[in-house]
Amino acid sequence: MAEEKFKAVHYLNQFFGQIGGEGKANTGFMVKEGPVGPGLALQKELGDRAEIVSTVICGDDYFAANPEQCAEEGLKLVKPYHPDLFFAGPAFAAGRYGVACGAMCKAVAGETGIPVITAMYKEAPGLDLYRKYAFICEAPNHARGMNEVLRNMARLAFRIISGEKEMRLLTREPLPKPEEYKYFSRNLLRNEYCEKSIAERSVEKLLAKLRGEPFESEVIPPKFEKVPPPPAIKDLSKCEIALVSEGGLVPKGNPGGLSRRSNLRWGAYEIAPLFRDYEVVHAGYFNDHVAARPDRLVPVDVMKDLVKEGKVGKLHPTYYGTCGCTTVSKRCGEMGDEIAAEMKKRGGISAVILTST
Amino acid sequence: MKLEIESIDIKDIQKGSKTYADKGVLYINLKELEELILKDSRIKSVDINLIYPGQNVRVLNLMDVIQPRCKIDKIDADFPGFIGKLQIAGSGRTRSLRNVAVLVSNPCTNRKESALLDMAGPIAEMSPYGKMKNVVIAPYVAAGVEERDFENAVKNAGLKTAIYLARGAHQHPVSEVEVYDLDIPNLDRKSNLPRVACYYQLYSPQFDHLAISDPCFYGTDVRNMMPTVIHPNEVLDGGVVGWLAIKALDTYSIQNHGVIKELYRRHGKDLNFVGVVCAVANMEPDARVRSACMAAHQVKNVLGADGVVLIKITGGMPHIDLAMAGEECEKLGVKTAIFTQPLTPFGTLADTILFNVESLDLIILSSATFERTKIPWKAEKFIGGTAETRIFCPDPIVQYASDPLIDIEEYLLPGVLDCTGNARVIVKEY
Repeated sequence: MAEEKFKAVHYLNQFFGQIGGEGKANTGFMVKEGPVGPGLALQKELGDRAEIVSTVICGDDYFAANPEQCAEEGLKLVKPYHPDLFFAGPAFAAGRYGVACGAMCKAVAGETGIPVITAMYKEAPGLDLYRKYAFICEAPNHARGMNEVLRNMARLAFRIISGEKEMRLLTREPLPKPEEYKYFSRNLLRNEYCEKSIAERSVEKLLAKLRGEPFESEVIPPKFEKVPPPPAIKDLSKCEIALVSEGGLVPKGNPGGLSRRSNLRWGAYEIAPLFRDYEVVHAGYFNDHVAARPDRLVPVDVMKDLVKEGKVGKLHPTYYGTCGCTTVSKRCGEMGDEIAAEMKKRGGISAVILTST
Repeated sequence: MKLEIESIDIKDIQKGSKTYADKGVLYINLKELEELILKDSRIKSVDINLIYPGQNVRVLNLMDVIQPRCKIDKIDADFPGFIGKLQIAGSGRTRSLRNVAVLVSNPCTNRKESALLDMAGPIAEMSPYGKMKNVVIAPYVAAGVEERDFENAVKNAGLKTAIYLARGAHQHPVSEVEVYDLDIPNLDRKSNLPRVACYYQLYSPQFDHLAISDPCFYGTDVRNMMPTVIHPNEVLDGGVVGWLAIKALDTYSIQNHGVIKELYRRHGKDLNFVGVVCAVANMEPDARVRSACMAAHQVKNVLGADGVVLIKITGGMPHIDLAMAGEECEKLGVKTAIFTQPLTPFGTLADTILFNVESLDLIILSSATFERTKIPWKAEKFIGGTAETRIFCPDPIVQYASDPLIDIEEYLLPGVLDCTGNARVIVKEY
């Protein structure tokens, strides 16, 4: 008796979905029956064992404006097909497309539990955000590697759906090895059987270290950059001080589109109107206390008192805010650079108070 | 000090009218063994079972696993301080039985986290003890005996059983003799070989049941122990035993200490093994600093080591003591290899490191001790407990010994992971 064919749904952006280029990046969702564009090559790799029954297409800008909401919208278009597998992209190095692929995978997996596979370049911003939620295959930073990437995606999909146990794991879970299937590790840690014992490895490597030979640590701890602080301010009463926070205080309606979790954006907000009409966007702490009194997060009241008392020269009228909940530390570094550049452009600011949660 | 371990390979264990070994079979007079155990008035009765690989048996409430061993050329010298008269372990001749283990179960335990061993199914495949012929003892408490006192009685019963079985094989031909001969004071000082020591973290008080530390070193507990220089033979020959619970550590593993045996294997060829500094994990910051400084000093200025392997005991807090000792060693110019045990199943390996010291640049993954694994295997027979015995899981998962699937942390499966470095396991990012 012939094996039943697996049903797959494929997500593409406006370009690969053959709607148009950057000019069509604002197009909303649409569905086409069967495979489209690179989906045809993917179908070839899937052979007889799986069928791409539909392709969900969406413009990169439309999606990027509100990834979480769009993922929900896209999920509604995927579900009616009752797929066994979900593919997105490959997105290669693309920023918006990669985030869209990752967000779609996360939404589909969260709702259906089916294997969700996409592919990105190692430096794509979508990688760190979504690697936990999807199987993200390695891809080069150009689309010339398309066929090989699709081949890997198909191979990985079949391995996952087979439920085959990974016997090198002590847990024997059906977890394919990232190196073997060329996907980025999904932030899981597992005990794995190994030829040499812990004792053998430790003595062997220590001997190499003692002999001055190269040795490989089994873990490399994170290197925290040492940033030397600038010299202290001599006279605060002559200074203009700006307030910055990662606590997610934004104007009501969140015009800057900060996310409650895994946020990548920051905003510059005038303090006076902000404190009249605001909301809190941050999934990492209980927001109600700040919502009741935003000075608890952004200490405007105390700063105003200090200015009145002549202890501080001036409170900078703009507050710079982001949401720092479970986000990418590299991006946070970049946001710091961007905020500092904006402050320098405006001029006059001598010091910054950063508040966090 | 010179120690000779004379090993006998046992192929089978059987009940017998007297205890002796012949042609690889160990016959055991169970009645005599029972009488020996019951000499301790703290024990009311004891179940003794002989179990074999492949049997559908689940041994519950395991406190320890011990290799049958006894001294051949000394009297009253076995596990000194625990059973035998207090004297330094690690010299002379010791008999050791291979492929047999004593499983010590405490069916009366109140400890929430208890180890277990299956003789078939996934756990038997993972654990070396699932492939051995085992003698299980499960003592029951006499009236009026206090809980911790009884735990000591159970442990002693296990050690006595191990000695008894080894004694019983006294006329059997020896399969292999291992010689552990290390004369530290007279090591060749002109040798070019690097001098390597072992920093052996013996204990952590964070798990102490009823706030009382388990005796594990010459019959006493080591809770406030200052760093202490010992000869490695003392560890191999009964000076150190496992705790009163299995937490990725048991006496059998210590008797076959992975790092000590590996340093011995390389001694005289790639390195000179210059000794062991024992220390414990501390709860107080002052004690931690004191211990780190003293240990590093002993490694450098007493043992004269060029390099040191820092071995870790189970737990999160012990990482800190270990790292501080390692940092002090590196400051004195002693090169380190330091163990770490990732404590969470999520994140990257770098995320799991609980210290950030640039000089500690050689970190060895000593397994993720708290990794959870699902065991889809239904036990039919239970020893040391019953079908209704609750199996510990950190979530509020309620599971019992007879469930067809249990969710258990690997440090509770004896021999699968061990803190002495025997496990052929590494931690990888998936």
